Amino acid sequence: MAGGRPGGTRLVAVACLAASLALAADRGAAWAQGDANAGKAVYEAKCLLCHGEKGDGKGPGADLLSPRPRDFTKGLYKIRSTASNTPSDQDIFRIITEGMPGTSMPGWAVLPEKERWNLVAYLKAFAPERFTEAPERLELPPDVASSADSIARGKEMFEAIECHKCHGNEGRADGPSRAELKDEWGEPIPPANLAKRWTFRGGASRTEVATRIAAGMQGTPMPAFLDSVEYPEDIWHLTNYIFSLGPESPAYATLLTVTSVSDAIPDDPDAEFWKALQPSNVPLMGQVIVDPRNFNPVIDLVSVRAAYNDTEVAFHLTWDDPTESKGDGKQTFPDAISVQFPPQVTGGTERPYFLMGDANEAVYLLRWQQGAGVVEASANGPGKIAPLEGGEVTGTAVFDNGRYRLVIKRPLAAEGEDRPSFQPAVFTPVAFQAWDGGAGETGPRMSLTSWYYLRLEEPQSNRRFIIPPVVALLTLAAMILVVRTANRAR
Amino acid sequence: MRRTLTAATAIALVAGAAMWFVSAAGAQGGGTVEVEVKYNGAPVVEKLKVNKDTQQCGTEAVIEKVVVGANKGLAYAVASAPGAKGTTKTKAVIDQKGCKFIPHVVAMQPGEIEIKNSDGILHNIHTYSTANPAINKAQPKFKKTMTEKFEKPEVIKVTCDVHSWMLGWVAVTPGVAAVTDKDGVAKLENVPAGKQKIEVWHETLGKQEKSVDVKAGATTKVTFEMKGK
Repeated sequence: MAGGRPGGTRLVAVACLAASLALAADRGAAWAQGDANAGKAVYEAKCLLCHGEKGDGKGPGADLLSPRPRDFTKGLYKIRSTASNTPSDQDIFRIITEGMPGTSMPGWAVLPEKERWNLVAYLKAFAPERFTEAPERLELPPDVASSADSIARGKEMFEAIECHKCHGNEGRADGPSRAELKDEWGEPIPPANLAKRWTFRGGASRTEVATRIAAGMQGTPMPAFLDSVEYPEDIWHLTNYIFSLGPESPAYATLLTVTSVSDAIPDDPDAEFWKALQPSNVPLMGQVIVDPRNFNPVIDLVSVRAAYNDTEVAFHLTWDDPTESKGDGKQTFPDAISVQFPPQVTGGTERPYFLMGDANEAVYLLRWQQGAGVVEASANGPGKIAPLEGGEVTGTAVFDNGRYRLVIKRPLAAEGEDRPSFQPAVFTPVAFQAWDGGAGETGPRMSLTSWYYLRLEEPQSNRRFIIPPVVALLTLAAMILVVRTANRAR
Repeated sequence: MRRTLTAATAIALVAGAAMWFVSAAGAQGGGTVEVEVKYNGAPVVEKLKVNKDTQQCGTEAVIEKVVVGANKGLAYAVASAPGAKGTTKTKAVIDQKGCKFIPHVVAMQPGEIEIKNSDGILHNIHTYSTANPAINKAQPKFKKTMTEKFEKPEVIKVTCDVHSWMLGWVAVTPGVAAVTDKDGVAKLENVPAGKQKIEVWHETLGKQEKSVDVKAGATTKVTFEMKGK
């Protein structure tokens, strides 16, 4: 009797535990299945505006987006980790939760997990016939860690299976088939820029990239390569090679530094001099303030390097553009880029309107255009650009494999009210605008930044190399003197 | 009463057996249907400048949407007899050669198809199917052949995204089928005698069907006139 009591308590505890476990498992299963009816309400509140009431991707906002929102009625999903044609529930859940980089699809982690599972169920209900069978697991070959050998093999395979046909020789989305690519709905679809992993739709981890290569992306031209490489592990060599094409993240800059040098600054954008300088990456957005707006800009990043000496200041810009274009004047226009400054640098916080100035306050532009070179210009808005006479500005541009490099040089000092003089240690406002003329960008149809700050390093005199050693030597001498005097006194 | 019922059952059984025997004999001694497809319109050919792989693809891609031969015969139309099952045994083959699908149209019964790449450059087989699982598989230069399965009847569009002008069709039909030649003629062999439905499909001119009385051991001719859209 005495021993029965603790036993009974134990029994109750075990029963409770079992019951709660069963409950948890039950709830887990219910979540994983989701409730399509409950999902409908969430869908109508959060998803309908883009994806449409019928799930056909034709919501009121759809026409402004590129890529267009997914049409769920076909049951085709770009991102899947399965060997069959349908994604797993987990795949859909992950995209809802994390969104799709490089598209208008945001992550919905703000929604309770249960609601996201309900959404999964509701999305599947738009194409129930596609989800009658459980998806087949995709078996990736065993992981191969990155190494110089693996990257070399990846490059070899990249060329053998002709990834460059779409993605370009260096992966910058500039392959010869680029212009022909269409998605399942007949919409043009650009290949991924493999040098910008942070824009990968399905994530940029090694497993995710390997999975995309192996399984392909449904509804897009990207085919499955799992059975179409020479050896299964080539999937990993390809992944390692792709990872070698660009950085993990753009590490956007907040302040641009102009390095002080004492020698001449080279005009050649590919000179070693420029490679030695650390680039600052600046993100560009589409211009959507004045008509015609540019909701889907091509150029989303400019890498800036800058240097100055006693007489000159030079800006080295690098940006990806899949098409080198001089323009036919109808559908295509010359590629262009401009660096914008206030006409006078005051060091104060007042700046002209960032969108190329306005009627009251002009901006100063260093403006390069394919086929025309660099000019200095004054602008009072995107439609009002007037070249400035009598300046000394030079520009040298190089284009290959989907990437421009440009050096713009100008005298450090300038006369008059239209041109700024550059001074060390002064925070100088700077902004950028870029046009991919090959994609029809011209005039207000551009990508741009708001104001950033540029700072010329203070000149590095030789004094910093001389004074500290001299001070050190003098201190040593003084110490020796003190010790000697003390010894002698004894 | 009972006797009449037994007699009726017996007669029914005998009649049924006889009918089965007759139809089986009919299937054994099937006839040939010669399908002639005509089109009273102009050929449609699109041309495209090629910007890559010109060694294999040439400098100009020719996209033949409507091919009309002598006597207004329409080529690349699929003629089929859905009621004549299980009679073709040869494996369907489609080749990618000169950056074209050869043949342009393949007719097959549910089963396997061999996909060849004779060009020695990257192609990708991208099918637009709904009944069968859609395929988008890369076929790089070293992958000379692949085998795919199409189990369900439907007409499947086949493209290559690398060379956007490449277009082919695989008609998976439940019954015996054939593709019309340059003169617009297709022969359907071993079609069971009796009334048979004959269908004709063309990629841009659509679908038509007719009923034909097939005689065992004889060739029955039927002509279709396709209308422009």
